Amino acid sequence: MQFKDQLDFVRQHIKKNKLRVFMTILAATMGTAFLIVLASVGFGIHDTMRSEILDNRMVNQIEVYAEKMDQAEVEELKKRDHIKAVVYRQSVSLQQKTGLDEFIGENGLIVTDFKEEKKVGFELKEGRLPENAGEIVVGSDFAESLFMEASTESEQEPVTYKGSLVGKQVTYKMGLYEEPEMFPEETIFTIVGIAKEPAKDWMQDYNMYADAAIIPTLNPIFEGHVDDENSQLLYGNVNVYADKLENVTTVSKALKDEGYSVYSIADQLEQMDVFFLAFKAGLVFVGTIAILIASIGIFNTMTMAVTERTREIGVMKALGASPKLIQRLFLMESAWIGIIGTLIAVVISYGVSFIANLVLPIIVTAALGEEEFGDLSVTFSIIPWQLVIIASAISLTVAMISGWRPARKATKIDVIQALRQEL
Amino acid sequence: MIHVQELSHSFKIGKKGKEKQVPVLKELSFSIEKGEIVSIVGRSGSGKSTLLHIMAGFLKPDTGTIQVDNVHTSAFNEAESAQFRLTHFGFIFQNFQLMPGLTAFENIELPLKLKGENKHIRKKKVKDLLQHVGLTDVQNHYPNELSGGQQQRVSIARALVTDPPIIFADEPTGSLDSETEQDILLLIQSLNKTRGITFVIITHDDTVAETANRIYRMHDGELTERGASHAI
Ligand SMILES: Nc1ncnc2c1ncn2[C@@H]1O[C@H](COP(=O)(O)OP(=O)(O)OP(=O)(O)O)[C@@H](O)[C@H]1O
Ligand SMILES: [Mg+2]
Repeated sequence: MQFKDQLDFVRQHIKKNKLRVFMTILAATMGTAFLIVLASVGFGIHDTMRSEILDNRMVNQIEVYAEKMDQAEVEELKKRDHIKAVVYRQSVSLQQKTGLDEFIGENGLIVTDFKEEKKVGFELKEGRLPENAGEIVVGSDFAESLFMEASTESEQEPVTYKGSLVGKQVTYKMGLYEEPEMFPEETIFTIVGIAKEPAKDWMQDYNMYADAAIIPTLNPIFEGHVDDENSQLLYGNVNVYADKLENVTTVSKALKDEGYSVYSIADQLEQMDVFFLAFKAGLVFVGTIAILIASIGIFNTMTMAVTERTREIGVMKALGASPKLIQRLFLMESAWIGIIGTLIAVVISYGVSFIANLVLPIIVTAALGEEEFGDLSVTFSIIPWQLVIIASAISLTVAMISGWRPARKATKIDVIQALRQEL
Repeated sequence: MIHVQELSHSFKIGKKGKEKQVPVLKELSFSIEKGEIVSIVGRSGSGKSTLLHIMAGFLKPDTGTIQVDNVHTSAFNEAESAQFRLTHFGFIFQNFQLMPGLTAFENIELPLKLKGENKHIRKKKVKDLLQHVGLTDVQNHYPNELSGGQQQRVSIARALVTDPPIIFADEPTGSLDSETEQDILLLIQSLNKTRGITFVIITHDDTVAETANRIYRMHDGELTERGASHAI
């Protein structure tokens, strides 16, 4: 029998039992759509959490901690494989006060290596990089952190600095947090550049950046006032940047093996991915149960179809239809139910997913209030093509398996018994 | 054409554990030649249908062999048997056994579809046959819209459509009135003459049996030849 004729044959039988086949397809559709929508929530939450994490930090950044971190150690780190940059930032461990004309602020000073910073995206929007000890670069939001001296006490909105920064001089004082008076020594910096805004628009950069040349100026001031062996003026943190995302794990593992404490977002992502893989598998499993329930319907429909057509199957066999052909015709019928059910389910699932993403945020915002939810962008449901493939495979497999026994039953029909049946 | 040797068959009847073997066919040996019309007559329950079922491959004999065209059909498995039927046998049944969901045309076309024949070849063959059996006017009727005689003509056309060398007919006129019966028998005879098809007709009716060139009588599971009757 030609394949086209087989299809014709199947179509004719389905037509004859429209309502029954429709109900069976409906069950298969519901089961499959349930699976897809359920699992899509897993994909949605995973995606939301991933992008939340990726949004906040640099992905191929590895934070490295060591007992003793210094410039020599940093130079060693730079020699390793797969490393784009090693940024060694040192912050001042004291209270800091800055002044610019009649404005004051409490901006922190960061000592860093501009050559390395540049490799990972540090850029200026104005001016140039420092060339000697007295020059600094300020963060993009530096001006907003400087307040008019008098305005801070009054009831009115504090007045912030509006003028240009490049070329201006900043006074800088340090002091202990526990003492009201700052150290009397005042250092003067010249602003030579302004850094570009941070990549994420919710970040603010009020810092002052200087390179290591500044340390000899500041250290004597610190040592003149503090004689505690254990405390230092600067404490550093080191961020190692892998050249590619794929290499983050390799680099961080190698560092860990050598006794460094490391932390990277990529490691965290990997753990989260493992968790979500299990979570999604669980959801697919639960969804599969729904499909299995629908499969009872397919089994029933097909068994009835075989029973109803016993005589016709007998005639077909008498005329010379092979058992294989009979089996195939019935398997095609259950496959047809599975395929149509799956197709409709996929369409419905995308619709439900779309509506869920449209409506659920509104409901949740209404329930939680704008502040708690408003700035969080949550995708409730995502249906990637992999999910469609998995769900279709499960649904079709289940449809074929449940059609298998009825189809076998059809091949076993005895011609003589079947022909004896009354019309 | 068909050689049957020492064919025996018995049925098990009764409840499990207390079954009884009932012999139905007892060491039958006979031949049917090419181009013959052979009829097998006998009382109800004498085993005529059982013999036909075995020759057609619906049923496996307990012992004995059957050769059709020098092929040992009794050694076939189910699939081989089906394939052989498709190319060698046509069937006419007492209650026609047409597919209720197919029109007269489609019923006749069915064996060609099973054979994997192309659509235009199918169309031509069925059209020719419809004309031959005089059913062109009702080709789009479903079986329940046809008279008994018309239904039997459809089933004869269906048996003919694959050009089989042998057609088995089990009580082909059993459900027809005597006038229609005569029509069908004449049709069978003319097909035998014009196309050289071998017919094996099973009947309990002597007048039907008279159509044949040769008559076998079945009695108590044994077969005796009654000698050639008048030819047409
Ligand atoms: N499947 C079966 N199981 C048990 N016994 C059977 C079976 N089929 C037929 N028989 C028995 O075998 C015998 C022959 O049956 P068969 O149908 O061949 O008779 P027949 O000559 O065709 O009769 P009829 O003219 O009434 O059609 C009968 O006694 C019947 O009871
Ligand atoms: Mg009989």
